[in-house]
Amino acid sequence: MVQSIVLSGLAIGCIYALIGITYNVMFSASRVFSFTAGTLGMIGGVLGSLFILRMGMPIPIGFLLALAGGALLGLVTEIVAVRPVLKSLDQHLYVLSTLALALMVQQFTAIEWSTEAQPFPRLLGTARSAFDEQFWLPMLACLAVIVGLELLYRHTLIGRAFLAIAEDTYAARALGLPERSLRMTSFALAGAIGALAGFAGGEMLLAFFGNAPLLTFYGFVPVALGGMGNNRGAVVAGLLLGLFQQSANFLVGGIFASVAVFTVFIIVLLARPEGLAGAALQRRV
Amino acid sequence: METLTARWRASRANGLIATGAIGTALPFLVLLAVGVLFPLFGGGYWGVIATRAYIYWVLVSGLNLVVGFAGQIAIGWVALLTLGAYTTSVLTAGNVMAPLPPYLALAIAGVVGAAFGLIIGLPALRLRTFYFAITTLGFATIVTQVALAWQSVTGGGVGVPGPIFPEPFSSQWGFYYFCFGLAAICTWMTVNVGASRFGRALTAIRDAEVAAEACGISKPALLRTVFLFSGAVAAIAGGLFASLQSYITPDAFTLDLSILFFISILIGGRGSVLGPLLGTILLTALPEFAAPLVAWSTFLYAVLLLVIVLAIPGGIAEILDFKNRRPLESDRAIIPRPDLLPRLLGAPAPAAGAGALTLEGVALSFGGVHAIEDLDLQIQPGQVHGLIGPNGSGKTTTLNVISGYYAQQRGTVRLNGTALPVFDRPERARMRIARTFQTPRIVGSASVLENVMIGATIDGRATFVESLLSLPRHRRDEVMLRDAAMLALAAVGLERLAAVRADRLQHSELRFTEIARALVLRPAFLLLDEPAAGLSADEIRRLGALLLAISRSGTGVLLVEHHADLIFDICHRVTVLNLGRMLAAGTPAEIRSHREVVHAYLGG
Amino acid sequence: MSITRRQALKSASAAVLATTIAKPAIAAKDPILIGYLPALTGPSSSTGIGINRGVQLAVQEINNAGGVDGRQIELIVRDTQSDPTKAVNGAAELTRGQKVNFVFGPVNSGEALAVVPMLARINVPQLHPCWVDTLADPTKYPLCFRNGPTNQQIGGAANRYVVETMKLKKVAVISDTTGYGTASVVAYVPMLKAIGADVVYQAHVDASNPDVKPEMLRMQAAGAEAVMPWSVNAGFLSRLINTRGQMGWDVPIVGQTTLGSGQTKALLDKPEHWAKVYPNNFRPCCYDATGKLPERTKVFVDRVRAAKIDMNDTLLWWIALGYDSPMLVADAIKHVGTEPEKIVGYLNQLKGFPGVYGDIAFTPEQHNGYPDRQIVMVEANSLKDGAFNMAPGYGAA
Repeated sequence: MVQSIVLSGLAIGCIYALIGITYNVMFSASRVFSFTAGTLGMIGGVLGSLFILRMGMPIPIGFLLALAGGALLGLVTEIVAVRPVLKSLDQHLYVLSTLALALMVQQFTAIEWSTEAQPFPRLLGTARSAFDEQFWLPMLACLAVIVGLELLYRHTLIGRAFLAIAEDTYAARALGLPERSLRMTSFALAGAIGALAGFAGGEMLLAFFGNAPLLTFYGFVPVALGGMGNNRGAVVAGLLLGLFQQSANFLVGGIFASVAVFTVFIIVLLARPEGLAGAALQRRV
Repeated sequence: METLTARWRASRANGLIATGAIGTALPFLVLLAVGVLFPLFGGGYWGVIATRAYIYWVLVSGLNLVVGFAGQIAIGWVALLTLGAYTTSVLTAGNVMAPLPPYLALAIAGVVGAAFGLIIGLPALRLRTFYFAITTLGFATIVTQVALAWQSVTGGGVGVPGPIFPEPFSSQWGFYYFCFGLAAICTWMTVNVGASRFGRALTAIRDAEVAAEACGISKPALLRTVFLFSGAVAAIAGGLFASLQSYITPDAFTLDLSILFFISILIGGRGSVLGPLLGTILLTALPEFAAPLVAWSTFLYAVLLLVIVLAIPGGIAEILDFKNRRPLESDRAIIPRPDLLPRLLGAPAPAAGAGALTLEGVALSFGGVHAIEDLDLQIQPGQVHGLIGPNGSGKTTTLNVISGYYAQQRGTVRLNGTALPVFDRPERARMRIARTFQTPRIVGSASVLENVMIGATIDGRATFVESLLSLPRHRRDEVMLRDAAMLALAAVGLERLAAVRADRLQHSELRFTEIARALVLRPAFLLLDEPAAGLSADEIRRLGALLLAISRSGTGVLLVEHHADLIFDICHRVTVLNLGRMLAAGTPAEIRSHREVVHAYLGG
Repeated sequence: MSITRRQALKSASAAVLATTIAKPAIAAKDPILIGYLPALTGPSSSTGIGINRGVQLAVQEINNAGGVDGRQIELIVRDTQSDPTKAVNGAAELTRGQKVNFVFGPVNSGEALAVVPMLARINVPQLHPCWVDTLADPTKYPLCFRNGPTNQQIGGAANRYVVETMKLKKVAVISDTTGYGTASVVAYVPMLKAIGADVVYQAHVDASNPDVKPEMLRMQAAGAEAVMPWSVNAGFLSRLINTRGQMGWDVPIVGQTTLGSGQTKALLDKPEHWAKVYPNNFRPCCYDATGKLPERTKVFVDRVRAAKIDMNDTLLWWIALGYDSPMLVADAIKHVGTEPEKIVGYLNQLKGFPGVYGDIAFTPEQHNGYPDRQIVMVEANSLKDGAFNMAPGYGAA
């Protein structure tokens, strides 16, 4: 039992952490949270199943196409739902526009793909075991993304440009950084990460449109607890969330598990609204 | 003669507002007539749809105050529908105790709903927008899960039969009229709130929270009130919903319903009652027009939402806002009428009673930066006190400390000897300290008059319930607030723009609007943060005359400014700051010739 | 076989009707409006999709043969999307808007719970196949008839199989969280105890949860010798079966008919996992010891194949039930016309209507039309063309 809890808890925690990172990358580029992060995770799984199972493509091609699909959706998010409202005086329109876009994608998937969970392909064809690929694939994906982002931010010019935009858009613009293209690229990157989360987690979560609201909520908890824009915090919080949720699932049972997770989330958030990692208060006046 | 003209002008503006009132009532009356006569031409099926729309509107009318007026993104409100439906059904079915009569069950559901509305809404006071939105979604899931798990009471997945209301509401059309009646009452109540100081305060919290605080509006108290009300009506809607369904199971309370409620308000337009009402009717009826639309209904709602957000953020209400499409005069001049100020502010108080506003040894640092250091300042009533200095010298910080947005780390701020409590903006308003802001903070979607009326919110006496029911004290408040606001607008020279939507105004007009808003508070002290920025030379002169007149009425004015001419023209005393410290203080003449000031700031 | 003759007679009479009607000037007659409330989308749509194929086939056949007394049947469909609210709206539209003569459906209990009381108030006759016990009550709902089995009947058959045939005592009973699932568990646990079983585990599981391993582990830890799931959600059931296979737990799964549907099969990891799974089904849709279907069913299957209807991703008995239902309604209307009281009167006297999937009979006191003896358990992995072999231990009818 403990082994199952730990394995599935860490695996699902990695998926939540990746969605949290998706939220964060979008937030860093634009200072807004997008409701489409969870939907991206769902799309990764659905596209993977669509390309590999339904259309019969080889797995690597299906994988790349799924990531491309996620990047495309990320790009669409930026162009349609974020860019137009960034300039508006009303600061909270982005919540509505990204919510609308996320809903559209979810409903479209439900109607055109299926309202039921569809199977997701067995990616590596290994025999089923306790330490099964459905558990370590998400962990591997999470590790790859963390390392990849570190390398990107520290050692590439574009990565450092991302950091500059995140720190201070005005200064970055003054330096001549192409803010808009960088933001678009950020969102495309975030889209690919979200799709990766859904693809790597596909064997656990299956290809199901209902994953979208699930990941929207559970993927946000790592962000809220780990601090906005803080990827390391998101990973730690994501893993803790996964372990907590699976412990509750295994020991107590489904319904009470979600109530428990949510209650803890609310309490922690009310106690520390900036998250456990904390962030500075900004000047309002 | 002068007063007559002023009165005529004011009443003409009032007349505009009166006809506006008839204009706003007309659509409601038309809908009322259609609703009453509907059974004659509607037919049974559309009767069910209409009843459903009324039930949804009962919920949405309350949620409108939370989302549309207060701007809180509460997406998961179906949780309260669920609570109300189950409470009413369980109490009438007798699962927990002896069966109760349906009306009593409905009332109890309302109370339960109010309590849970508060619980679900309270995180809004602590959390950022997006976080709060996510928590409401979580609540919706939780309530459904609990309904599933608590089998002994709710029947679990099997569900429970809904309440049946007694004659004459048990037949289809009887129940139709029952729901119609409740929907009409909710419309009336929320229109009343919208046109009360509470409604205006809510929009202020939504669009200009910082300014709202300066006007004394307490966000927690106000939000608590609307969450209680919204929760109560949502639960009552739930009881009606259960009756319409005749049998409820947890899977009837889908997230799609929450989305429908939420989007109805946004499509309708925030800050309006008519808009969301039309939005609710539209979204309830739309899927019924074509069977294929039913499956795509939530998709369509989302598309509508996106279109609205991107193209017409004001929603249906903006589309219907004909009077704000009329072009404004292009050459508008702001001509203040300082002679009206005594009527507004009252005669100057005797010198002994009104004390000075004093800062002693005030210091505040942000991290390693000493924003202000060891500052002494005294603003006398009836004087204009200028505060100047280069950028970053701590002028705005000082103003923010006085007005309660920052807490000083050392030193005291006193009014008439009493120390001002730190961070307590509402208390400042009660002590009649008013201010304006570096960038005008106004509610763009409200009229200029409504914006100014916000300034005197704390002078209203009616409670929320009295406003809800349009009782006499509420109506007296409105007359009092309106008259004061019109007078203030006349005083600053903007009364002809009273009915215009504020976001159509020019920058300079917005600055004067802020001053009018500060004036209705009848301030003992008026703090102005760079009011001349962006004004033409003429306007600056008129501003100066106005500020002098304000000071002559007994108000102490603190003027933070860059325009040296304005400062030296009207100030009785000037303090110069540099790098957070006081560089010099004295009369304008003394300052103008002060060597260090000239060197550091004035040039030369 | 008498049944074949009756069936032949029926087709013959249809042919006679057709020849008498197919005169050059066909009298213009109003169509018969039958309202139909399936769940074609949503989590509980597997039943609706299967039934729908049979319904469409039956209506087509009736209309091609000239209709009922020359009147064509117009089937008005409103997809409930597995949502009780939409079911109520749809029912309102069908009855008050379209003014249908008869309503068939909903096909899911959760939706029927809301629609049945409503239709009773509007005085429209209704036929539905839902299983929850309270959905047929001649006193409360005199115009409502059920041409499917009840939960009591289904549970009884399954429970008796586990306890008396398989001789297993320790049982785990689980369901999803729909109205149907919860009602089933609530009804079956006392029934199991009454026949001497030891219910070591019972739970309602959120069907959208992708991981059912915690549930399975808890059942195993409680010592369950048989697992009895009650849900129409193919995804949920397939996950139970897959997890059992992954765990290598050799426990029989005995329960809801959807365990054997083609949809469930499609979601299995490995075909081997489908061994030792025994869903409930109906004798007329089962292969006998020699591998043959009953004659009446075989004739029907041939017709289904000829109409190119897919049976592999669903269950034959659903298609058959869907087929039988408009036939039953048409039969009633042909005998007594479309007035509600007359239809109800006719149905109340119905004895042994020869449906493909079962012989339906009603009395004024009993609106549950399906006979006990025709309910059996089958072996899931013997699925062929939508029908199954009966599970080991069943003798002849």
